[in-house]
Amino acid sequence: MNVGLEHYLTVSAMLFCLGLLGVILRRNVLVIYMSLELMLNAANLALVAFSRFNENLTGQMMVFFIITVAAAEVAVGLALIVALYRKRQSAHVEDLTSLKL
Amino acid sequence: MEPTLSPAGYAALTILLLPLAAAVIALVCPRRDPESTANRSIGAIALGFVLSLGLFAFTGDKPQEANFNWLSVGDLHVAFGLLLDPLSKLMLLIVTGVGLMIHIYSRGYLHGDRSYSRYFASLSLFTFSMLGIVLANNLFMMFVFWELVGVSSYLLIGFWFEKGSAADAAKKAFLTNRVGDFGFILGIILTWAALGSVNFTELAGSVELGGRLADKAAGFSVLAEPLGKIFNSTGWWIIHPNVLVTLVGLLLFMGAMGKSAQFPLHVWLPDAMEGPTPVSALIHAATMVAAGVFMLCRIFFLLNIPGSHALEFIAWIGGFTALLAALMALQQNDIKRILAYSTLSQLGYMVMAVGLHAPGPAMFHLTTHAAFKALLFLGAGSVIYACHHEQDIWKMGGLRETMPRTWWTFRWGTLALCGVWPFAGFFSKDAILASALEHNNIPLFVLGVFVAGLTTFYMSRLVLVAFCGQARSESAGHAHESPGVMTWPLVVLAVPTLLAGAWGIDAYIAKALPSEHPPHDGGFVDNLFAPFNHNILAAVFGLLAVVAGYKLARALYANAASDPLPGKIGFLANLARDRFYFDELYGWFISVTQETLAKVADWMDRWIIAGLLVRGTHGTTELVGRVLRLAQTGSLQTYAFLFAAGVVLVLAWQLVLNSPAH
Amino acid sequence: MSLLSAIFLIPLLAALVVLCIPRNYKFVIRLVTLGATLASMVLALALFAKFNDAPVENGFRFNYEKEWVHVDALKLDIGYHVGVDGINLGLIVMGAIVAFAAACVSREIKRLEKEYYLLLLVMTGGILGAFASLNLFFFYFFHELALVPTFIMIGVWGHGENRNYATFNISVYLSLGALIALAGLIALYLQSGANTFDIVALTKAVKAKPLPLAAQSLIFPLLLFGFGILVSLWPFHTWAPLGYGSAPTATAMLHAGVLKKFGLYGLLRVGIPLMPDGATAWLEILAFLCLGNIIFCGFVAMRQKDLNLLIGNSSVAHMGFIFLGIASLTLVGVTGAVVVMVAHGFLAALTFGLSGALREQTGTLEIEKLGGLLRQIPFLGAALVMAMLAGCGLPGFANFVGEAMVLFGSWRAFPLVTTLAAWGALIIGAVYMLRAVRNILHGPAKPEWAALKDANAWVKTPFVLLLAALLLLGVWPRLLTDKIQPSVAGIIAMAETKTADKATRSGEVKKAAGEIKHRAVQPR
Repeated sequence: MNVGLEHYLTVSAMLFCLGLLGVILRRNVLVIYMSLELMLNAANLALVAFSRFNENLTGQMMVFFIITVAAAEVAVGLALIVALYRKRQSAHVEDLTSLKL
Repeated sequence: MEPTLSPAGYAALTILLLPLAAAVIALVCPRRDPESTANRSIGAIALGFVLSLGLFAFTGDKPQEANFNWLSVGDLHVAFGLLLDPLSKLMLLIVTGVGLMIHIYSRGYLHGDRSYSRYFASLSLFTFSMLGIVLANNLFMMFVFWELVGVSSYLLIGFWFEKGSAADAAKKAFLTNRVGDFGFILGIILTWAALGSVNFTELAGSVELGGRLADKAAGFSVLAEPLGKIFNSTGWWIIHPNVLVTLVGLLLFMGAMGKSAQFPLHVWLPDAMEGPTPVSALIHAATMVAAGVFMLCRIFFLLNIPGSHALEFIAWIGGFTALLAALMALQQNDIKRILAYSTLSQLGYMVMAVGLHAPGPAMFHLTTHAAFKALLFLGAGSVIYACHHEQDIWKMGGLRETMPRTWWTFRWGTLALCGVWPFAGFFSKDAILASALEHNNIPLFVLGVFVAGLTTFYMSRLVLVAFCGQARSESAGHAHESPGVMTWPLVVLAVPTLLAGAWGIDAYIAKALPSEHPPHDGGFVDNLFAPFNHNILAAVFGLLAVVAGYKLARALYANAASDPLPGKIGFLANLARDRFYFDELYGWFISVTQETLAKVADWMDRWIIAGLLVRGTHGTTELVGRVLRLAQTGSLQTYAFLFAAGVVLVLAWQLVLNSPAH
Repeated sequence: MSLLSAIFLIPLLAALVVLCIPRNYKFVIRLVTLGATLASMVLALALFAKFNDAPVENGFRFNYEKEWVHVDALKLDIGYHVGVDGINLGLIVMGAIVAFAAACVSREIKRLEKEYYLLLLVMTGGILGAFASLNLFFFYFFHELALVPTFIMIGVWGHGENRNYATFNISVYLSLGALIALAGLIALYLQSGANTFDIVALTKAVKAKPLPLAAQSLIFPLLLFGFGILVSLWPFHTWAPLGYGSAPTATAMLHAGVLKKFGLYGLLRVGIPLMPDGATAWLEILAFLCLGNIIFCGFVAMRQKDLNLLIGNSSVAHMGFIFLGIASLTLVGVTGAVVVMVAHGFLAALTFGLSGALREQTGTLEIEKLGGLLRQIPFLGAALVMAMLAGCGLPGFANFVGEAMVLFGSWRAFPLVTTLAAWGALIIGAVYMLRAVRNILHGPAKPEWAALKDANAWVKTPFVLLLAALLLLGVWPRLLTDKIQPSVAGIIAMAETKTADKATRSGEVKKAAGEIKHRAVQPR
């Protein structure tokens, strides 16, 4: 079987949808966070695939940026989550509503 | 224009400003020393009287004017201007002379009142305002002082403001006067708009010019034409110019209606009795109410424009007021109220005289009336003072023995008011009756004679009940003569009450006012008998009415213990006693018009504008906000879902609907 | 720094000084405020005294111009330009005197004094600056600078249970009005094509090339209603009694007395001279709306049970006379309107100041609860009587002169409206004013008020000052009218040259010119 661009993109889209569903439906902040990473990586996958098939390195450069930013994001985000957990003893979104009217 | 003042001008200015200075000093340093405030006020008016006498004696009859530019914008030029002519000089004498007596009298009457200096300050302000009306040489200035008279009367009638009734009376006087002033200012504006000036001399000039033009152009006077243009250019009214000229006259007359308490604005005057008695004397004799008649005489040329029917209306209003007030006076029991209604009635005479093209007799009656009405009021004050503030005549009686000086001066005043020869009132009233005859206005002549009879009747009732017979109450029994400071003014005023009729005042007035039969000053003795030579019918009927009135009163009230009249004419007596229910009628009218309008306006303001519109806009905005807020759950996951859904929709739209395949 | 700039910069600088003073030094803060307002008042009086001798430049005296932002690429030119003529001279002097009086009565404030005085000074500087500016940008900027402190002061230091709603109401209402006016001003700037915010330059440009008729008839109503809302034009008036009823005394004095006049001033300075054709179409409507102020609000005032609400409504009613005078577009009428603007400033400050002093003593302004106070507080009572009488147009006070001139001037343009306005002035006004005097001051003394104390010399100062100003202008009106008249004549002249579209309207213009000529000839 010849693996073409469509296959990569299909996997990427499925990963993205999985991540999105996770973000929308899950209640644990940590899991939402992991789903978010999943979506980022879905995008990475698509970019790398495009890069490979278009014979152009711009996409892969983009991926490096995303990985870097994601790493920073994880550092900040996880720290926030840990801090929140310490304060509230919970990582559920239902419990984190103090900004709501 | 900065004028150079003649010595006479300086004197007039001094007369005007002295009382103001006294009032201002009292205002700036109040309650320091009440006695000196009183002395300053009396000194100011005394000096004014002396200067007025000097003006009267030493200046010629030629009118003199002095103008200080007070306000000059566009074509509105208002001067602070003084006009000295026989009319104003005579009024100066009346105001300062009678005023002086009242000032002196007040020292005794109000001695010990805790607002003694406030009283004298207001009195001086009152005098100042009245002198301003007298000396004003233009309508605008007259209006300014007109209003000041209104406010000083407000202050004085409400002098004992802690008494609710006095405070109400003051308010009523001011507001009723304001209704008149409303017409007055409109009349002034109309006159100014039509003739381009407010100055009396200039106005008289243009009206004279118009009068001459009128002969040629059949009733179109110089006043009517521009007036017609003003109205017609707005496209609202197209009225015959005669109607407009009449309208101007009537609007100006409204001012006099308020100040001189003519029907239907007469209701404030009796209530004004709530003020201290000297104030009543001042209002009734020398100032305020005289202002209306004086103004009518001053602007007579505006009322007398060819084509104007204002004077006929004025004559009937005056006559009706005279009759109405005399009827009301019949059944009053308060000594001051009887005098108040008699003033109303006499003012009716004066206004009637103006309406009969006889401003001269009107001014004449104003002059004599000032003397004897001041005398009567001060006499009444003396009685009230002696009876410990008892004002009901049925609780007096027998005062002729205990208060001799008050008694004989009061009697003289009564005789003058009734019009008994040779007292002053006879001459002036006769002149008015004669002018009614000369105008062939028989109904008004009959009315005048009838009112003269009524006058004698109610005044005799007052004298018989209050002074003759036996004392009917303890306070009347213990009464004794008032102190000299109060009785001497009475004596002084008694002199003009007896003699002023033959002093040739009417001839003096004729120098300033147009008159169809100018009276001739033929010396004192000649003047004494002039009425009988001039128009014997008026004199005889006038005297007959007096005799009839006295006979009737004597039959009813000599030694009466209570009023027999209600028993005899019942319903009519009650009607007269309750003043024909005018106060109630007005009260009802005000409550259905003004109060209803106020309620409706308040309701609309509260519920329609502030409620429905303002709160409604606010409410709608808030409602929209509340609806839109439902979409803002604050949950990130919902947002993410909506976001994703949006992306899917856009993608679907782009890929499916917009794809080239379709 | 020119004399004129100093008048409004001193309060603003004093505000900076107050900012640096620690909040515990209340006395010093108060002293700085009093000193600054006093200095600006003295300078304003000096300005008034020197006015006649100052050189005239483009119709303005004490001109001071400085380039500020000038970007040719953006067609932007904002310069600092101040100057006075007869119209704003009276307003500036009046504003400075009222500001000093307002600083005097601010003793009633007992908390957060530092912030209060800071805002008061900013408000003062803003008001005076707005009247002095001859550049639309600063004209508007200074007005907003004064407006915002008003809202905060009512909200924080206000009285009564309605305070929050009043703050909310007045903020939204006045911001809306200012916004509409801003839209009008920007449209005017764009349409004129002169690329300048300078009022003098704009006037010149419009004189040379009038705005198109369509633009005028769209922009003028924006200014009319925008400014009208700021001046409580009926039916956009309900914020005024509500706001003044809840405002701290000094704020009510400054806003009702001075800041409110900004809208009228704007209409006279910008609206009518720059858009005469738009004005003629709308001024008739304005004349009828002003009856809403005079008659309707007069009747509303009759029914008020709270003294402050009564005064607030009467202040709205007085605005009607100014509108009527402006709408008449006659020399006498508009001059009268300017006189009323100044006179009403003093009067509003006086009445609100007195009611504030009364509230400080009694703790209430409900008319029913008061009564017979004149014996206890002779000075405050007498001053209140005088203020009330001035309010119903008594000669001797400046209001009479102005109102009489308005009536005289507007007669030719609107006889019916003038008649009704005279009714409102002479009778309706007198009814509610005298009723208030009767119910508050006259009548038997009530035992609960036996302990009231009359004002001491410090409390008296501002009231004496305001009364003296009212009396002086009432007795000697030429002090003001002689200065106002030439400036108003210029505005009237511009308003009467209706030349928006010469080609199509030449016939009408000729007719109008004929009418003007006819008016000018006095029938003697």
